[in-house]
Amino acid sequence: MSKFLRPLIAVGFLGGLVLVAQPASAQDAANGEKIFKRCSACHAVGPGAKNKSGPTLNGVVERKAAAVEGFRYSKAMTEAGKNGLAWTEEHLSEFLAAPRKKVKGTKMAFAGLKKDKEIADIIAYLRQFADDGSAAKPEQANADGAIQSNPGMAEAEPEANASEAEMAEETKKQQQTGAGEDVAAAPKAEIADGAGESVDASAGDEEAAGQDVAMAPPPPSGGPMNIGRPALEDEIAAWDIDVRPDGKGLPEGSGTVAEGEGIYDERCASCHGAFGEGEGRWPVLAGGQGTLTDERPEKTIGSYWPYLSTVYDYVHRAMPFGDARSLTDDETYAVTAYLLYLNDLVKDDFELNSKNFSGIDLPNHDGFKPDDRQSEPQNAENAQAELCMKDCKEGPAEITMRARVLDVTPDNADSDEQDELGEGAID
Amino acid sequence: MVESAKARGRIPNARRQFLKAGLTAAGGTLAVASGVKAAQPDPKITEIQDWNRYLGDGVDASPYGSPSQFEADIVRRNVPWLTADATSSVNFTPLYALDGTITPSGLCFERHHGGVAVINPADHRLMIHGLVDRPLVFTMDDLKRFPRENRVYFLECAANSGMEWRGAQLNGCQFTHGMIHNVEYTGIPLRFILEEAGVKADAKWLLAEGADAAAMTRSIPIEKVMDDCLIAFKMNGEALRPEQGYPVRLVVPGWEGNMWIKWLRRLELGDKPWAQREETSKYTDLLANGVARRHTWVMDVKSVVTNPSPQAPLTHSKGRTVATGLAWSGHGRIAKVDVSIDGGRNWSEARLEGGTSKGVYRFYHDFDWDGAELFLQSRAIDEAGNVQPTKDQLRAERGENSIYHNNGIQTWHVRQDGVTENVEVS
Ligand code: HEC
Ligand code: HEC
Repeated sequence: MSKFLRPLIAVGFLGGLVLVAQPASAQDAANGEKIFKRCSACHAVGPGAKNKSGPTLNGVVERKAAAVEGFRYSKAMTEAGKNGLAWTEEHLSEFLAAPRKKVKGTKMAFAGLKKDKEIADIIAYLRQFADDGSAAKPEQANADGAIQSNPGMAEAEPEANASEAEMAEETKKQQQTGAGEDVAAAPKAEIADGAGESVDASAGDEEAAGQDVAMAPPPPSGGPMNIGRPALEDEIAAWDIDVRPDGKGLPEGSGTVAEGEGIYDERCASCHGAFGEGEGRWPVLAGGQGTLTDERPEKTIGSYWPYLSTVYDYVHRAMPFGDARSLTDDETYAVTAYLLYLNDLVKDDFELNSKNFSGIDLPNHDGFKPDDRQSEPQNAENAQAELCMKDCKEGPAEITMRARVLDVTPDNADSDEQDELGEGAID
Repeated sequence: MVESAKARGRIPNARRQFLKAGLTAAGGTLAVASGVKAAQPDPKITEIQDWNRYLGDGVDASPYGSPSQFEADIVRRNVPWLTADATSSVNFTPLYALDGTITPSGLCFERHHGGVAVINPADHRLMIHGLVDRPLVFTMDDLKRFPRENRVYFLECAANSGMEWRGAQLNGCQFTHGMIHNVEYTGIPLRFILEEAGVKADAKWLLAEGADAAAMTRSIPIEKVMDDCLIAFKMNGEALRPEQGYPVRLVVPGWEGNMWIKWLRRLELGDKPWAQREETSKYTDLLANGVARRHTWVMDVKSVVTNPSPQAPLTHSKGRTVATGLAWSGHGRIAKVDVSIDGGRNWSEARLEGGTSKGVYRFYHDFDWDGAELFLQSRAIDEAGNVQPTKDQLRAERGENSIYHNNGIQTWHVRQDGVTENVEVS
């Protein structure tokens, strides 16, 4: 639809319109919505949904594969679309059951849904969204799958259309007057937020929520230049979530391995694998103990990380990837407990809480030392006073090794050699 | 517009074909017109060219100008199979196509851990709290009331050349060395912000945090903070690019790029480091004996020849030529750079042009090429006396699993036909 709508992050703004038109099997779709949590780290649906690490899935049912403009599909998916693959119920079901079997070389790092019912439900759910994320027309959202026309032509609810048009107008105005200027009212500010360039990751929710704090003339900072204003306690609490190895910053709370398993399977396993082994090239979280002196060490929480506080802190601030800050304190305790369990460090009846947290040492706790690079021979106090300039080595230079990858942006993105090279190369 | 877009598509293709041909032509010489063909007059001179007759675009054809359409191939590039997803990935500065010392803003490599945050400066806040007398909040307007400075610094990712630990891998200095850029920053000494809040005596560390979806955090010792760190909002005179942390980022001169928190929103003072993910799981250097170094902040002395290099082969036959490259050190200034054309048997001192302390230096080695194969190397020495080591020396000290801080000497093999390849030599 309108280009102006694409950048909108209309959180809870138009969200209410999504379910206006109920498909025949409303219950299936409702269940599908739950299952969609497993997809939502990578895909968004609904009005204003943007591409994340996967394309937006608005209007995807019955559409050609690889049809979202501006999304960089894998070569495999692009080819499949060109060769006529369309997401009919049948093809979509096969894809969701085993993505990499259906489209060999797809970059969707998702193992697949095991149950036919889950697949049917999620398709019922996805059917509800027209191309622009508005509710698809009831006859088009019919669960029989008797759709002939292109859902891309589906019209949005008239009401939705009107308000969207208004918002598009607003956005345009914002863009003309320069989105950077003083935005007073909250809704407008939300529009301005998204009016920048379109990127994969949306700005954090706090950014959208955190406006309009300093409306009254602020009290002076009291510092030497008297710039800024005092930070309020609530403001500090909202941002200060860091946890130190000595336990400073750890909130009250608890969570068990069993609770953690549920959360992990739903919100983490699609990328990190059911056992923390890592799907595709997503990070490995478990295993690898005793490999640090191997030719290819596997660095995980159990094999490499020195402190448990880092696990809590990092998961709480940055995971699940693409939906940061969405876990509660207790959920974070539970997932942390489960990650300990996946690394064989606790039993399955373990509960992690603010009391026992600091008592837990990770196996590689003592595996680190300070930076002593300056003691190496090439560095200042050791470097030879006189550098060799002439006849420094005997005989002519012989090639001992050649570049292993001549064409650095290869067509086949999945050869074993590249996997081997890529592993841990740039993190 | 449409016309030039077409041209954009064509030119780079032709160029890539040329490079490919160069790489595969076994031993053949490059069929590139060089020098003067005396026999026939050059039609580019004797015929009147379109651009010499017809008018070009007027002013405002491109209100924020962009490079010539003939430079369309000079872009940041990534290596998609290195990482799982573009939102947690890296691309590389095309060093082979640049000269001088300043990196154009749009070509500065990108590395993000949660995509590029898009932040309206009116919505941005910077908070300082922890072991301070007065926890404070600043808006962008507030920040612009502090005294500011202009400084040129390099930013190098600690993992630059990280792919090369196990031996020559990627064919091009863009990929082997392109996680570096060098720009002029306009910013506020971080010291002023701390003084505004009043630092308590037991504050020994600063935690800096970004506002992006990774909420990136790093611990920095207070001595460094008070020494030369900046809070920058301009690069090369213009606003920071979004991918470089717009509207405001931290500048930590000479130290690894990951510490230069982008989209900077929070500064916390404390008495101990925080052991965040990027200073434990990542950015620690695993040695051969299984022990890892941590807090390896400084970027060591390093250099690389950028031309010729695999993406910029020699296109002329024997005769006068220029080898050029970059040198830098997180310890300060570069004292000298030596260049070898025979794989480290003999060295000559290169000519340095431009450069700043903890910034990039440009070096040139002008010489007559006799048409024989070359093994080009460069070796930098900084003012503290640190010498850039060979890759073998580094491996002997550290093993092959360090990932970070590979400052070893790079070798390019220039063949008689000018084609250039990443190699290691005896
Ligand atoms: C780890 C991230 C990730 C997860 C989790 C994920 N996907 Fe995907 N998905 C992708 C990516 C990336 C693509 C693009 C694939 C390509 O280009 O090869 C994709 C493509 C698709 C497509 C094809 C879209 C098109 O435009 O052709 C569909 C349909 C899809 N995903 C559905 C789902 C569903 C349903 C789920 C949850 C059950 C899911 N995905 C979970 C990343 C993910
Ligand atoms: C959409 C894919 C995805 C999902 C879902 C996801 N992660 Fe991650 N995870 C990543 C990526 C990508 C990184 C690395 C980010 C970076 O570049 O800094 C990561 C990093 C991590 C790390 C650090 C790994 C290391 O070795 O440093 C941990 C721990 C982690 N994730 C835990 C979790 C937990 C717990 C969940 C569920 C609550 C989760 N992740 C959900 C993609 C994902």
